[in-house]
Amino acid sequence: MAVQSHARDAQNLLRSRLCNPSFVFKALSGSPDSNYSKLKFILSSSVTEACNNSLLLLGPRGSGKTAVLELVLNDLLEEYPDMISVIRLNGLLHNDDNCAFKEISRQLCMEHHLLFSKMASFDDNSQFLIAMLRECGLAHKTIVFVLEEFDLFAQGKQRLLYSLLDAMQSITSQAAVIGISCRLDADQLLEKRVRSRFSHRKLLFLPPSTEIIERLLQHILLLPMDSTLPNDYATQFNTKLESVLADERFKEILKNYLSSSSTINHLLRFLFVAVSSIDVKSGYPSLDNFKTALSSFRRQPKQECIKDCSILELYILTCIRRLESKEQKSYNFNSVMKEYKSIHDQFQTSDDYARNVCLRAFERLLQRDLICFSDNRGQGQSVEFRPVKCLISHFELQEGIKAYRSCPIILTKLLDR
Amino acid sequence: MGKEESPQAARRTTRASCAAASNGEVGRSTITPLHNPTVSDLAFGGEPLSSEDLRSSFPARRPQILELVHLLGPHSSPMLPLFVYGGASTGKTTVILQVFRHLNRPFVYASCRTCYSPRILFESILNQLLLHRKNEANGYSSAKRCEKPSDFVNFLREDVGKVVDSLKDHSGKRKSNKSRRWPKGDILYLIIDNLELVREWDKSSSLLPFLFNLYDILKLPNFALIFVSSSSPDTYYSSMGYIEPIPVFFPEYTEEDLRQLLIRNQANQKLYSCFLDIVLRPFSRVTRRLDELSTVFSSLFQKYCEPLSDTSLFPNDEMKRRLFSHFRPYISPALNEIFWGPSQCLSGIESGKVTRQRGSIRKHEDNEDFTEIGFHMSTAAKYLLISAFLASRNPATLDASLFDSTGGSDNRKRKRKASEKSMEQKETVEQESLMKGPGTFPLERLLAIFQCITSVIDVSIDEEEHGDGFSTDGGNSSWLMSNVLSQLSSLCDANFIAKGGSCPLEGSTRYRCTISEDFALKVARSIKFALPNYLCRR
Repeated sequence: MAVQSHARDAQNLLRSRLCNPSFVFKALSGSPDSNYSKLKFILSSSVTEACNNSLLLLGPRGSGKTAVLELVLNDLLEEYPDMISVIRLNGLLHNDDNCAFKEISRQLCMEHHLLFSKMASFDDNSQFLIAMLRECGLAHKTIVFVLEEFDLFAQGKQRLLYSLLDAMQSITSQAAVIGISCRLDADQLLEKRVRSRFSHRKLLFLPPSTEIIERLLQHILLLPMDSTLPNDYATQFNTKLESVLADERFKEILKNYLSSSSTINHLLRFLFVAVSSIDVKSGYPSLDNFKTALSSFRRQPKQECIKDCSILELYILTCIRRLESKEQKSYNFNSVMKEYKSIHDQFQTSDDYARNVCLRAFERLLQRDLICFSDNRGQGQSVEFRPVKCLISHFELQEGIKAYRSCPIILTKLLDR
Repeated sequence: MGKEESPQAARRTTRASCAAASNGEVGRSTITPLHNPTVSDLAFGGEPLSSEDLRSSFPARRPQILELVHLLGPHSSPMLPLFVYGGASTGKTTVILQVFRHLNRPFVYASCRTCYSPRILFESILNQLLLHRKNEANGYSSAKRCEKPSDFVNFLREDVGKVVDSLKDHSGKRKSNKSRRWPKGDILYLIIDNLELVREWDKSSSLLPFLFNLYDILKLPNFALIFVSSSSPDTYYSSMGYIEPIPVFFPEYTEEDLRQLLIRNQANQKLYSCFLDIVLRPFSRVTRRLDELSTVFSSLFQKYCEPLSDTSLFPNDEMKRRLFSHFRPYISPALNEIFWGPSQCLSGIESGKVTRQRGSIRKHEDNEDFTEIGFHMSTAAKYLLISAFLASRNPATLDASLFDSTGGSDNRKRKRKASEKSMEQKETVEQESLMKGPGTFPLERLLAIFQCITSVIDVSIDEEEHGDGFSTDGGNSSWLMSNVLSQLSSLCDANFIAKGGSCPLEGSTRYRCTISEDFALKVARSIKFALPNYLCRR
């Protein structure tokens, strides 16, 4: 019983670690040439020496750009209290200029305990921003603008980017603009007037090396010895885990997983499933946990879809593939039905169903996203006449039918011909 | 859970009761207006579910339940977003809601089917969080007006914070509050159902990445997201990326699972199992969806039991054979009726029975019931429908030869032997007609054809009635003017004729007849009109 409750506590601890990016990335902040140190250096120079900076954090999704920035900002806020205010914008939320300015004003008002007016116009808000920048500059207070999904701000007229970067040219203001994007060509999207005001400093976030991954695994998964968990349980947990981590098979699984998705957040997701599947009764991690995690991510949705189909639906898919191999440009339910009838006439299959039954099966295929309408026109037209296209390849269908239990042999034959 | 008639029924009641629970128990509030909604209403109302009950009520979903419980983890432990997917009617929503009932955790449920636009979705989530109830006093308005994702994020941060605070408050002094069941843990779960529908919304290209990134945008440790979708994660890929949520797959039921599920809650399980021996295999070849199968089987089982006086008996071999021979003729028509509702299905079989008594079971047609239903349409509307059908089916160039005795007289002479090339052409034309569907026609053509076919009939009727050619053109056209246009609009409303866009060259509206040939023939038969003579066969 005791082991069970300890195991639950341990699982809880590991899960909250995995869901907390700042804990994970703290492990990587030590070395002097890490992105953390570079970013901290640049930002602290803005704070202490009042130089205006702009830079881009680039890297694939899930490589920890935001997490590292948050770490740096938190550290700086502790080091220099009352000297920094952070404005956070997200391209997904504020990609129209009006909305972005409103959000900036709102956050500035919150920060400085001012009254925010929802009715303020675009002009009011942008003037307010300039005024605030001047005031803060005079008070030696740095405003850090964090623009997540930076590439989305570069759509349209880029008025927000222009006015932010332009305001930074004046000597009175003290600010930093940090763009975060997963598009490596994000600075190429900028207009000329914006680009000339941008510093073109970039920090690249690369996929982690093997050593880093090993260090992260140790950092995240090993239980601390000085927590509420009893010492002997934690020691045993850690030795079990060490043996799993050292196992060749584990390394194989990890390599297999990381070959398709190599960023740190993907690794966290993988570990999360593995930790969640630790059996509370036995209480300790095993290699099987990592195997289940791998199999839950290694899914082939199209194959699963084919496995879910009924035999009539497979017939219709086969007919569609046959039409496609006849190089027919477009087809709809009627032409599929003609093919279906001809198959039946030729081979006398036992699966000859009425037209409306086939139509229902056809609609189910549409629901499963195995086929879709090839154009959005003709909404008013009934399903039978709208041209469709097939969303799975010949090979996928062949594999799916091979793996299908109790599938009529005639189908494989029809498909091969 | 175990008492309901079929799994399908269970699913419906679950959704309804869930809505009642999470919306602050609407039903109860009308009786006792003093009841103030509290945070405890965010958990599933009613009795808690033991893990045995949970497992026994979903016999075929054991691995999925286990996986979900593992991923949800112990209470108060954070979770990365989940993505639950699987075909329609595989029990995704029901299982998740019942798992929450079992675990007794607070959650907010929003389905993109009922919340059909971003604004309604956002406001419904916020209403549930704020325990706001739409009623007469507040003019059925939402707690907050929220249209943009940016506002939604701000509100959500605020409200989730409040809810989590009160959850934490109570977990401290839980012992004092034993009268009401209080939800466990301080994590709030947001379940977004029917996510696949969002792809068809207007702003889906910005809304979907927003929803998938919501967890990262909010950065709230006490907030967890679960997406439920009937289509697989690979159908959501777009140019905007996101970290894929953790997938949980619900596969379609196998034949064995279906048997287990269907046999549950039957009064006489042995009898039903004999019934399933016969029907399950052929029907599962057509569809493996539980909702469709249970509808068809419920009516078929009544047929199966008809010869029995006492349905609680255990069938022996001899009785099974008797039942089978009685039942066999119903199977194949029912297989072809699977698309239709149960009542029509039965009437079809009924008419099949009549024909069998006449000793001509082979002549039985699937759509026999059409003639029996009969259409409450005026004769003029029927003629109009037929002329619309003709106008849609026949090419306009052949109208003259079909309806005018002098127009296409030289048609036969020009008929030549079909060469290889013309055969090929014919095939492509046929292909095209399959693709294109019914053709469109202007109003003038419809009226012309209508006048042609009604004039023929008029003459014959008049001859029968008066014996002389008394009818005049004037009378004919007045009938046309007074009636036909209103009939046309009512046919359009009934969706027999579709109004298309106007032709850019002519500027007039074009129509299209959407009825099938079988149906047109039936209508023609009911007014004794020789439709096949007028159809152009290529």
